[in-house]
Amino acid sequence: MSKVVLLVALPLMTAFLLPVVDRVSQFAGRWVGPAVLLLTSVIGIMLWGELADGAIAIELGGFRPPLGITLYVDQLALLLAIAVTLGTLLLWPGGGEDRVRLSTLALLLAGSGSGLALSGDLFNIYVFYELVAVVSYGLIASQGTAAGFAATTRYVIISSFGAAMALAGIALVYQATGTLNLAHLAQLAPEKLDNIQGLAAFVLLLVGFGVKAELFPVNAWVPEVYATASGRVSALLAGIVSKLALVIIVRLLILVFHQPEALTVMLVLGILGVVTGELAAWRARDLRRMLAFSSIGQLGIMFIAFSIPGPAGVFAGLAVALHHMIVKPALFLLAAQWGGGTGRLAGAAKVSPLGAGLFVLLALSLIGVPPLPGFWAKLLVLLELVQQAGSLYLLGAGIILAGAVLEVNYLFRVAANMYQADGQTPGVSAPRGNDLAVASGLGMVLLAGVVLIAPLGATVEHIASQAADLPQYVQTVNPEALP
Amino acid sequence: MDSTLIFYIAAIGLILIGIAGIVLSAHLVRIIFGIVILEAGANLLLLLATYREGAAAPIMVSGEFPASMADPVPQALVLTAIVIGVGILALTLSLALRVHRAYGTLDIREIRQRMEQDIAAAAGIDMPTSSEAPVPVYSSEEGRS
Repeated sequence: MSKVVLLVALPLMTAFLLPVVDRVSQFAGRWVGPAVLLLTSVIGIMLWGELADGAIAIELGGFRPPLGITLYVDQLALLLAIAVTLGTLLLWPGGGEDRVRLSTLALLLAGSGSGLALSGDLFNIYVFYELVAVVSYGLIASQGTAAGFAATTRYVIISSFGAAMALAGIALVYQATGTLNLAHLAQLAPEKLDNIQGLAAFVLLLVGFGVKAELFPVNAWVPEVYATASGRVSALLAGIVSKLALVIIVRLLILVFHQPEALTVMLVLGILGVVTGELAAWRARDLRRMLAFSSIGQLGIMFIAFSIPGPAGVFAGLAVALHHMIVKPALFLLAAQWGGGTGRLAGAAKVSPLGAGLFVLLALSLIGVPPLPGFWAKLLVLLELVQQAGSLYLLGAGIILAGAVLEVNYLFRVAANMYQADGQTPGVSAPRGNDLAVASGLGMVLLAGVVLIAPLGATVEHIASQAADLPQYVQTVNPEALP
Repeated sequence: MDSTLIFYIAAIGLILIGIAGIVLSAHLVRIIFGIVILEAGANLLLLLATYREGAAAPIMVSGEFPASMADPVPQALVLTAIVIGVGILALTLSLALRVHRAYGTLDIREIRQRMEQDIAAAAGIDMPTSSEAPVPVYSSEEGRS
């Protein structure tokens, strides 16, 4: 049995033991969750070295594929598993009075998120996806406000609709191929899924998993949820969980669905996401909903990038996704105390110079101002887009640039407000020390990215080329498969 | 008529009825029932993926192979999906209860309006309205079922 399984099993096991542990010792109940997540992150980082020779596949329960459930560990999957574990640790929501329940939910999120990233089986992905969904309902509703319950209810409705769509998509895939193992599907897909049924299955799965990835028609929950959930929960959902769902869609696209129409659907929905997200963010008058809409726009850019065929598209999309994974949680942490109308933020720079400075830094990177990493990520997407044939790709590039103009407008409006100093008393308090510390850490990572952009780019390119390597996936999971 | 075809029509019909229920209903409980019907349709579709008329359960009895055996995988999957669905149904109903306690209504449009008001009040801004929005036909106090 490999250590990889621990990434999923340790947090899940601790989650269910935590209420009992807390009865015995409150001290243990408080610290066992973060400790286990720290241990799991260390295990994940140690595994990174073992992947130097290539990806590994693990047959759970000793059943050989395609019958058994497979965990597939390449650098992309491991990176996401580490990100969700480390992210939950940094954004640990279980500090308040409702400590035990929130800690349990956070541990479940880390375990099921890792499972989602590592799973190599379509139905297993569905189960972990539902687990992540249920956990996020609990985390969102944990504020206990009426608006929070209403937002969660509306989110559950959209999410359940998506889950049923994904299930119908799985049914179509199974009907055509008789397997749900991704490697086995990759072998059978050119013969059995390269038709209208395959395309229908892809669209159903895209809508299903797109709910969490804030895909255009199924993202009505985003502004309400991020406006009512706590800053840390919003940071987790927008920063990390949305990327997990996105990468599932990208994996399906690489391995199973090769129709050009599938890419076009992604491209069009991505463009619509950027247009609607950025326009709504421009119109938003409170910081949290502005960030929520801006996150829809950023996810739209990722969908556009991933719709570029080949490893180049995976590289560009991954660069934007990793950048967003660092910037958006930090912004949501700052918005935890500064969440109200943007007018209230007048003089916030006086209350917390560090917080306001961080906001400007993060905003600049989000817009894509050189030499910040956000610039390189957006540049990469644009360069790849203009090399593609087809006017839709050019339209995508134009829309991304127009979106950047809107981003400049609304983010600078907020920043200008913060630095206003006309003698009036500021309407907001400083961000909490914890939140500010984590946000500063993420800001430091961003600044380190400026210096290390060349090796960072090479690493991401390597991760992307490995993730886009279909024959390697099949060979790793099933060594007897014909090359 | 082929019995499989009837089942397929039933599955797609259930999915369409469920989607219509979610989209067209204003009552929260009806929307939740729409989800239940939609899930039933998706589950039936998954079961039909490998359905065979008159197939035996894939269990060997006294060393003999039945002529035609059913694929057990979709059945196991549907069992899992049903369990997940029931869990989420319970969660959704309890959330609906909390919403009803807070807002005193199950009309989804009214809930949305009250929620927007609460969010705007917490943020200290006016309700987001468009200058071109139509004048509301009914007031939220009167309600409409």
